[in-house]
This record gives sequence, C-alpha cells and structure tokens, in this order.
Amino acid sequence: MAQYRTQVKIIADVLSTARDSNTAGVGVGVTTLLRKGNMSYNRMSKLLSELVGSGLLLEVNGEKISKYRISDKGMQFLAAYSSFEDFAQSFGLRL
Amino acid sequence: MAEFGHHAFIRESGFAARTLAAIAGMEQVTDILQFIGVFVSFSIAYVSYRGVRQTQSSSLLRLATAFVFLGFGFLIEGFVGLGQLFPSVSLTATAVVVGGLLLETTGYFFLAFSHAVDVVLSKKMGTALLVFPIISLSGAQLADVLSILSFYFVLYGVVETLYSYSHSRKPDTLLIALGLSLIGSGTFFQWLSFLYQDVGVLSLLQIILQEMGLLMLFTPVLRFAVGGVKVDGPV
Repeated sequence: MAQYRTQVKIIADVLSTARDSNTAGVGVGVTTLLRKGNMSYNRMSKLLSELVGSGLLLEVNGEKISKYRISDKGMQFLAAYSSFEDFAQSFGLRL
Repeated sequence: MAEFGHHAFIRESGFAARTLAAIAGMEQVTDILQFIGVFVSFSIAYVSYRGVRQTQSSSLLRLATAFVFLGFGFLIEGFVGLGQLFPSVSLTATAVVVGGLLLETTGYFFLAFSHAVDVVLSKKMGTALLVFPIISLSGAQLADVLSILSFYFVLYGVVETLYSYSHSRKPDTLLIALGLSLIGSGTFFQWLSFLYQDVGVLSLLQIILQEMGLLMLFTPVLRFAVGGVKVDGPV
C-alpha cells in the first residue's frame, strides 16, 4: 500500500542521494536528485534552495549547471535522522 | 485428631497473617517502584524531545507528549504511595489519585493517537479504527472509567506496534509490543482492583506488570545511552 513521505523523510532522501551518488566528488546534478527523489522540478528547486540556505547542502557552481554536495552538517543530520528513525521504528512509528 | 486440626488451623492462620504482612510490605515497595516508571517515562520523553529538535518529527513530538503525561501520572501515583507510608503527609485524597490517573490516561491516549495519525498518513485505514469501549457511566466511578480507557488505548498501541513489526521485523519493535502488552495487562488489573475494591494482590500484579513493561520500553533509550549517539543540539 502506498505511503506518504513526511517532509523530514524527503529531506533525508535528498541528502542520502547527494551523499551516495557523489562518486566522482564533484557533486550531484539536479537530474539525478529528481530521478531518485521522485518529485517535481519546482518542488525540488524550492527544497534545494532551502537545504543550501540551512547549510545541509553545498552548491557547487559548474560551467553550465549547478551541482550539489552534502555538507558536514548534512552528514550530521543524516546520522541523527538514522538514529531517531530507528528509535521511532522501535515504537512502531515513522519519523 | 481434633488437636491436630486445631494446630493445623493455627499454623494456617499464621501463614495467612505472614502472607498478608508480606503483601503489605511488598505494597510499600511497589509504591516506591512507581518512581522507576517516572524515570523511564521521562527518559523516553527526553530522547523523543531531542529527536523533535533535530528532525522536527511530529511522531516524536506525540511520543514525547505521551511520556511526559505518563511520567507526571506515575509521579503523582508514587507520591500518593509515599503518602501512605507516611500518614502525616496526607496525599491520599481521591482528587489527587484521579488526577494522576487522568494524566496517565492522557499519556496512553497520545501513545495510541501517534499510531492513529501514522495510520491515517499511510492510508491503511483498515486498522485505523480506534475501538472505544462502551462504558456504562451509571454507577461507574471515574477511576474505573479512566483505567479501562487506558487499557483500550494501550491495547490499540499493541495492535499497531505488532502490525508495524510485521513490516519492519525489528526485534526492538516486538519488544516494545511485549512491553505495551504488559502495561496493558497492568491497567486491566488496575481496573479490576478498582472494580473489586481490592488493594492487595491485584494492585501488586498491576504495578509489577506495569514496571516490567516500562523497563522493556526503556530498551531503545538504552541504545542511545550505551551506543553513545550524540543527541545534543539541533542540526
């Protein structure tokens, strides 16, 4: 059965993609984030500017397009998210 | 033969008196045991609150709220128990007892409500029905009503936690479901003790089951303490 993602889950998904798909170390493009994040371009653009604004993502300006890298603060957020997701799941809840 | 029967009666009477004294002594111990519940509840509330600060999760907010209410409920019950140990401190007023029970029931409600909201969000409405008990208020005391309401809320929490376990297969979730079952059994015995005006064995069973259940709920908190997970400050 389909489950709605909470806002915090969406943020964690985007940050995870930025961390895991950044194999070359030059950042991840919006297309990759869109494909794995499963959301519209407008919504993703708004979310990306929020995440960059809050310091969870770093914007790397390339020649043509911007790419995104996860920051140390973003890594901390993912670690905390993982711990608290585990905690909530123990009580049978979702974050 | 008759003399033998007389001695047997005296022996049995002595045994009964010792048993009653032991139960009375254990009751005093169990009154103090309430404070374990206070500690566990506030610990879970603290970790949940840290989770709220870091992830802005509404599920954790509801969990924190539930355990704050439960913690204060147990605290009041604990003080009422201590009041019985020290008769000079009169804390046994019915209003105080009912107030503690009301806080506990509210805590259990938020626990069940967390699951209900989770269910609505995930659209699995089939299990979203909180089946409220049909209570005949005529002649029923408020304490009876509150304890049976607590029982139903906990029971709902058990069902939802088991449902969650069937998906996640996390051993911790099963442990929490077992803990909630023990707490639920405790609230059921509490209801029976109110119903039959029995403050002996039933109350003793209630507190033992409740504390065992709460200690099981403490497991996820222990992971934070032992695992050294950093929970300070919002990210």
